[in-house]
Amino acid sequence: MELFFTLCALPVFGAIWAAKCRHLEKVRSSVTLLIWLQVIATAILIGPLLRGDASLLRFTADFALDRSAACFLLLTNFVAACSLTHAPTFFRNESVIAGKIIPPLHERFFYVSSLLFVLAMNFVFMADNLGLLWVSIEATTIFSAGLVYFSRDKHALEATWKYLMVCSVGIAFALLGTILIFASSQHGAIDGGSLNVRMLIGCAGRLEPKLLELGYIFCLLGYGTKAGIFPLHTWLPDAHSEAPAPASAMLSGALLNCALFAIWRVTELVKLTEHHAICESIPIFWGALTALAAGLFLVHQYGIKRLWAYSSIENVGIMLVAIGLGSPMLFFLQALNHSIAKVALFLLSGNIIQYFGTKDLSKIRGLLKVSPTCGILLAVCAAAVTGMPPFGAFIAEWLILAKSADAMQGISVAILLIALAISFVAVSIHVSRILWGSAKPELTQSRSISRYLIPSILGICTIVLGLTAVPLILVKPL
Amino acid sequence: MISAINLCVLCAAVLACLMVGSLHLRLNLFLYGVETLFIAAATVLTANAHGDASLICIAMMIGTLKALGVPFFLLKTSEKLNVHRDVGAMITPPLAMHLSIVLFALSFVLTQNIPTPQLVVNGWYGAAAGISLLFTGLVIMLTRRLAIGQILGFLVIENGIYVFALTQTLGMPMLVEMGILLDMLVGVMVCGVLVFKIQKSFEHIDVALLTDLKE
Repeated sequence: MELFFTLCALPVFGAIWAAKCRHLEKVRSSVTLLIWLQVIATAILIGPLLRGDASLLRFTADFALDRSAACFLLLTNFVAACSLTHAPTFFRNESVIAGKIIPPLHERFFYVSSLLFVLAMNFVFMADNLGLLWVSIEATTIFSAGLVYFSRDKHALEATWKYLMVCSVGIAFALLGTILIFASSQHGAIDGGSLNVRMLIGCAGRLEPKLLELGYIFCLLGYGTKAGIFPLHTWLPDAHSEAPAPASAMLSGALLNCALFAIWRVTELVKLTEHHAICESIPIFWGALTALAAGLFLVHQYGIKRLWAYSSIENVGIMLVAIGLGSPMLFFLQALNHSIAKVALFLLSGNIIQYFGTKDLSKIRGLLKVSPTCGILLAVCAAAVTGMPPFGAFIAEWLILAKSADAMQGISVAILLIALAISFVAVSIHVSRILWGSAKPELTQSRSISRYLIPSILGICTIVLGLTAVPLILVKPL
Repeated sequence: MISAINLCVLCAAVLACLMVGSLHLRLNLFLYGVETLFIAAATVLTANAHGDASLICIAMMIGTLKALGVPFFLLKTSEKLNVHRDVGAMITPPLAMHLSIVLFALSFVLTQNIPTPQLVVNGWYGAAAGISLLFTGLVIMLTRRLAIGQILGFLVIENGIYVFALTQTLGMPMLVEMGILLDMLVGVMVCGVLVFKIQKSFEHIDVALLTDLKE
């Protein structure tokens, strides 16, 4: 219980501190310290769940953690910690290398928004109530809007507006879905109705089927918008590309998992009813289609961060297939591998944009000459994100394909295979163009280590996830 | 008592259709305010019918914050930015209004078979009004070019979902209701602030012209 309050209080305390303290360096170091404390607190909190001593940690009537939520909670906090640790280096380099002057107030605003954003994301996993889950997801939209708007130019403004409008309308449909699920519980299943996940799961067989099915469709549509499912993905590349690199890393590595987790919560419920066919065929097919569409968009990309944004959409498609298969293990495995590699890629892209002074892919050439470390890390992480062996994503994608084939989803498997092949080729071509070619002579080599610290740790993590049994330990309790 | 609730929410749905017919922001905001007051009244009547005191509290918050606060805030915003009329997009307002009346009728057909709990008598009208408001909100979002018009469309959609929840369930948990209301209000405030920034950077608030970021 104390740890639960610690998890809630730490980000709030940090946000107030970042807003009040006028000394920027102090804010930077305290935010980094605080977010790692948060990771440690989370790890201690979910310890019993990971060891298999308990299957559910209940804090209050509406807040609890089950095993899959616990794994995602840890991953989210880890992603946020990595991004926020890299953020001070990134902002320092914005002025040193890229020559942009960032007002301290803007940077402090960034930390305030990020910490509140992390808090909202934590609530997504800890909410044991579909209504509060919805409230938390909407709160993530509002707080992360401040991150997308960071650079305060025309493009950032356009991206923020699109993000707020598309996601809010999408999420409104998820609210309608949540209300329909609530209504479905009032027909004799629970006296007076309930949105409590455990109570709903307990009486899943007695829920009104028509309302539940409608509710599921609306939730899938609504949370799907937030996850960037094709064709509702339009906000995603803009927001990811306009936000500063640490914010893009959090949006891609943590926020997308939150939206998908909300879909998983509803799927988990519908799976227990007689009408489970609806939550298998639709997400699997839609997921495969999303992956294919994203793969095709990857071919013609002009911005480096837009490239990774579309690659995120592709991975969202794969994760949606895993959700449709009803396997929390595969869903988490794919999310884990994607988040770690993608966070590293976004942070590295931030460095690359600072070196070359542009986001334009056609102008970024010869990275291996400018910065060999950065180039090698980029190649490793890009290989990891496309699902090449021996990286962890390969195992996850292989298992998802095998399980889909077992589930007799032939068409979806075929679409998914084509999508994976296209995106692999597209990313390989783009990355090889970035690595080789002739760089402008005025670009000097950079020798600073701090800016590669987090990406290299994450790069090592991707290899460890592929070659060792660490993922098995993590997903065992699921 | 039940029929009075239905009358209130149906009035709200009709007012939303009228909103589509005019491009004047001031009139639109006024109609939105009255529409939301009708919804607040429906909430009070429902509270009486079910004997649920927490609904009175929700109704008061809707009446003060959503029916008066939000339109007033948006009115001040539009006055400061010196915009009084939307440009309109896609189809002309009279045509769009007829479209939303057709959708109003259609929502009765769509909601015919939605099962309602035993205690709710004649839930059909409420469901139809809710879905109709949702459709009307979408029509407003599609036929408005100014940022304030888009926010209004979103607010109407949200009203529709609220009406649906009010008439189709026996009262959502209080905590959830509060959370939803708070999120919506903060969302509108953030959008309102963004509208100012858009005006400052682009010197207009025509969101149809925000097309720099494209494939």
